[in-house]
Order: sequence, then structure tokens, then C-alpha cells
Amino acid sequence: MKLRYKLAWYNLLTKLLFVLVFLLVMPFLLERVNLIQTDNELIGKREQVMSLIGEFGVEGLMDGSLNQAFGSYNILKQEYISLEPALSDSLWNYIEVTQRMVGDEIIDYRVLNYSFMVDGETYLLEIGTSLDRIYQTERNIRTITLILLALFVIISFAADTTLARILTLPLDFITRKLKETRSPALYDKTPLSSSTTDFVYLDQTLTELMQKIDELFTREREITANISHELLTPVSVLQSRLENLISNGDLNEQDAEKVSESLRTLHRLKGIINSLLLIARVENHQFLKNESFPLNALIREVYEEIEPIARDKGLELNLRLDCDRHLTNANRSLMFTLLFNILNNAVKFSGNPAAGPVEIHCFREEETFKVRISDHGPGITEGQADELFQRFKKRSSPEGHGLGLAIAKSIADFHDISIRVNSKPGQGTTFLLEFSAEA
Amino acid sequence: MNVLIVEDEKSLAQEIADFLTKEHYLVEISSTGMDASEKIAVNLYDFILLDLGLPDYNGLDLLREAKNSNHEAAFIIITARGEVDDRVKGLDLGADDYLAKPFSLVELNARMTAIARRKFGLKTNHINFGAFTLDPLSRKVTCGELEVDITRKQFDLLHYLLLNKNRALTRMQLYEHIWGNLLGDEYDSNFIDVHIKNLRKKLAEYAPVDWLETVRGVGYRANIN
Repeated sequence: MKLRYKLAWYNLLTKLLFVLVFLLVMPFLLERVNLIQTDNELIGKREQVMSLIGEFGVEGLMDGSLNQAFGSYNILKQEYISLEPALSDSLWNYIEVTQRMVGDEIIDYRVLNYSFMVDGETYLLEIGTSLDRIYQTERNIRTITLILLALFVIISFAADTTLARILTLPLDFITRKLKETRSPALYDKTPLSSSTTDFVYLDQTLTELMQKIDELFTREREITANISHELLTPVSVLQSRLENLISNGDLNEQDAEKVSESLRTLHRLKGIINSLLLIARVENHQFLKNESFPLNALIREVYEEIEPIARDKGLELNLRLDCDRHLTNANRSLMFTLLFNILNNAVKFSGNPAAGPVEIHCFREEETFKVRISDHGPGITEGQADELFQRFKKRSSPEGHGLGLAIAKSIADFHDISIRVNSKPGQGTTFLLEFSAEA
Repeated sequence: MNVLIVEDEKSLAQEIADFLTKEHYLVEISSTGMDASEKIAVNLYDFILLDLGLPDYNGLDLLREAKNSNHEAAFIIITARGEVDDRVKGLDLGADDYLAKPFSLVELNARMTAIARRKFGLKTNHINFGAFTLDPLSRKVTCGELEVDITRKQFDLLHYLLLNKNRALTRMQLYEHIWGNLLGDEYDSNFIDVHIKNLRKKLAEYAPVDWLETVRGVGYRANIN
């Protein structure tokens, strides 16, 4: 996942978590705050009533009928007040929630009970406020808060995302440069302009690294070219001389055979030098990867090359192309060499044709394109299998010098293809090529 | 035809010269870039074999220069540097072919013959052998009116043997011509034997193939009078 998406997700999740906690706590908080507020109001009203009583006396409020209780609701029954002579002498001063029957509806009231003495008589004052109003206010506040929170989350998420995108723009720039780079020499050296010093540093370091790798490659390329020249020129002289000796035709048969034998030896030397140079050049990225072609066609070509050899041995060669993969940014001749070497190896080491066919199988497994080349030859041990791709490690063979699979390995690495070998003595050997995800 | 060999390795130049002389070419040798540059300016050549790794001259520069003054010559680059770019650069500059050292003299001969055919239209394209005819352009082999059905590899082998007719070709020479040196060490003398065997079998269905000889200890030869 890209960094900026991670940042966006992180921001969104923390905000949602915060909002959730707030929503859980809010009703409780609101209730507390409202009750305190209501209680303060009730106390304020009590003080008003008490000051009225101080001014006009209890009778003034109770219409002179001292023994009767006085009670009054306002029209909408949101508030009420009652004053009556208390039956007991104990003094009360508390606030509670009670339900009152008013008309035919039950209403929650917050009620302040207060008793006081005037002229030796104890009176009980009750002041109530309907909680409906409080509940309504609570609901309103909750709705408004919800809307505000939602707006907050949306706006801040958008702002965060935009900011993250702007902040990580330099990173995209660097990633794009890396992705476009086919070889260190072609690395885009345009410096990054950004106010974030970390990214500038990263960009500079990468550019320097690419330059260094490029210099190393260039130096190695020169060394390879020089070695190539120094080794191959004398071989070239010898080869031409021996070929001239043969084609002059004035040698007797015995001598011709000896010269021919020398040519074979020379050819082996040449093969080793060329193989080592090929590996060096592949590892040194001297080959271009600019071709695109369907793999099945190439496999068929390789199959056609080797099929006559297999048939001559009485060996069956099976081709199973379940699916195809169009390779891009690849080198066709190198890919040919890779497949040829592995298939040829399988055919070469298939001892008894009756043991079973050599099979090439293209298939897709978990979205990955794979090619399996399996034989029913003598097989090798696990230890030998690990060494198979190393230079000069070979299965016992009269011909070749154990570089074919090393070449295959270097070409596979060059194309980001994983190559694995599975083998059991007596059962055969399987090579599995796994191609990287399609671009 | 006149050939100039530009090659600083004198013994190699001499071997190539010996071989080409026998093939009835008139051969001159230059072992330095300066000398070659002068010769090219003064003389007309049909072929210039150019080594890129000259001590005093960048071979590609010499090619560029020579192309300007000697339009008619066919250039074949021979080099042991073997850099992948060299081939592309050389062919871009107008070289007609490219051979990586060490190459086989018969391969050189085949390439020169092919270029001569293409460039100078010297011979008819068809090659007659025994009761058969080979057409390099359409890549077909016919026997009288009948077309012989042979594979691409078999055709290449046959064509190569015919281009070097009456000369014994070793299995390596044949192998290298068909598969080049990109396959590394996977050389297998059996490959050539199998293909020749199949080729003989195919052709024998139409006419005798006794002209396709096995040369003991060496390889094969197309013996055609």
C-alpha cells in the first residue's frame, strides 16, 4: 500500500475512533450538564420565591388561605410550583426526579423540595421543571453535534489526504524514476526540487548510487571486453590455422583426425570462454531487454529444436501449453537460450526412454505464470541440486562443462524469473520457472 | 574479387588470407588503422574485413570513414571484443555483416558468398546438387517438380554444406553455424548427426544422396562436381 494511502487510512481511523468515543460519552455528559444547569435554575427560582415570601409573607402567595395548599402549573405544564403546610417538622432540602400525573399524562419532573419555617409553621415548597424540555434540548444538541462531527471527519479526511498527497509527491517522483530505469546508465538524473530535505537527500543518494553502479558496470564491461579480446584472439588464430590444415586436404586420414580432435578441444576452450563471457555480460546488463513476444511461440521453437534429438533417443517429448504469457521488456535470444539449455539438459539426462517422457508444461497458479520442465532421468540429491546452477558443477556428462545451467540461471535473474529445481534420485528432475507478475 | 583484411593479429590475418586466396580472392592485409585508411582511400575493394580492436584506430571510426570513400565495398566486422553494442553500432554504420572471433573460416566463406550474391548479383540464386535444386530466397528444396519437405534446421544445414561444397565441415562448424555461440556449452555433436541422418532420410525418398558424405573423424561434406 502506498504511503499516502496508509496515512489517509490512519487519519480516518483515528478520527472515527475519537468520534465513536465522544458519541458514547456524550449522552452521559449532556445529562450531567443539563441536570446541574436545571438544578441551578431551580435553586435560583427557590431564592426568588423565598424573597417573595420574605416580602409578602406566606399568605400573600397562598391567597390568605393558610391551611390550603397552593399549586400552579404553567399552561404547557413545563414548570410547576406548589407550596403547602408541611405535616412533619423535619426540614427537607433536596432535588429529585419524580413522575407526576398531570391530566392524563405522566411527565418526568426534576423537583426541588424545600421546607422552611415561617411564624412557627413549617411549609414545603416544591418547584418542578419538566424533563421533556431537557430531553428535547439533549436531542437537538446531539443531532447538531453529530452533523458537526460528520462534517469534521469528512473535511479533515479530505484535507489530510490532499496534504499527504502533496507531501509524498517527491516520493512518487523518485518511485517513477526508479520504475522507468532499465539500467543504471539510463537513470533519470534530474534532481528533485522539494522543501522536504529527507526526500532531497534520498534522491541525491539514489542518483549517486546509480552513478556508482554505472561506473562499476562500465569498468567491468571494459574488463570483460579486454579479457574477451586477449583470450579469444589466440583461439581465433589457432582455429583458423587448424581449419586451413584440414581444408587444404593434403593431410592423410590419421593426421586429419588428429587435427580434427585438436579443433574439438579448441572448441571446448572456446565454449568455456564464451559461456563465461555470456554470463558476465548478462550479469553486467549488457544485453537489451526491449523485445516483446508470446512465450508459447518461443517454447514451440525450442521444442522443435530438441524434438528430433529426443526422438532419436526414443524419448517422448510432451508439450502442454495450458496458457500463454506475453513477455515484454525481454530479450528473445536470451530467453531462447534459457529454455533451450534447460530442455536440452532434461533430454540429455533422461536415461531410459521407458521411464517416462520429458514434459514441458505452461500453466498458471495463483496468478503466477509458470513453466515446468520435468524428466524421468536418474535424478540427483538435494545437495547436488543446490549446486546445479553454479559454474562448473555438472551432472556426470561426457559433453559440456557445466555452464549451461549457470547461463540459464543468469538469464533467469536478468529477467526476474525465479528458477527452482526439484529432484529425487531415481525419480527424475523438475525445473520450475516462475515469471514475475504481469506489468 | 578484391579483399582487404584489416587485422592487427598478423598470424590470424595470414590464415584468413591463405584461405581466401584458395577461394580465388585477391587479398591484401593491413595491420594498422593508418595503413588501412590509406589503402582504402587509394584502392577499390569488394570486401573489407574489419577488426574493431585496432591499436591505433577506433574500428568504428575507420568504418565510418571508409564508408564515405569506398561505397561499393562490403564490410564485414570481425571482432573479439564481442560487446553487445558493437554489433548494433557496426550494422547501424552500414556494415554488411558481423562475425565474432573466433569464427570459422567456412562461416566467413558462407557469409561472403551470401553477401556477394545479394550485393553483386554474381551467380544465379539456385544451387543445383545431384537431382536437387535449392533456392535460398524461397528457402525451398525441389527435386524435379516435387518440393522436398524439410525442416528449417535441415535447410540451413544443407545450404551451409552447399555453400562450402566439396569441403569437409566439422560438426562444430555446422553446429556453430546453426546455433551460434549464444547457447554456451550445450554443444552436442549428436545434434548434427541426428539432423544429417533425418536430412538424408528425407532426401533419399526422392533421389540418391550419396553426394552427402560422412568424412571419418571430421564431419560431413557435400561432394558435388
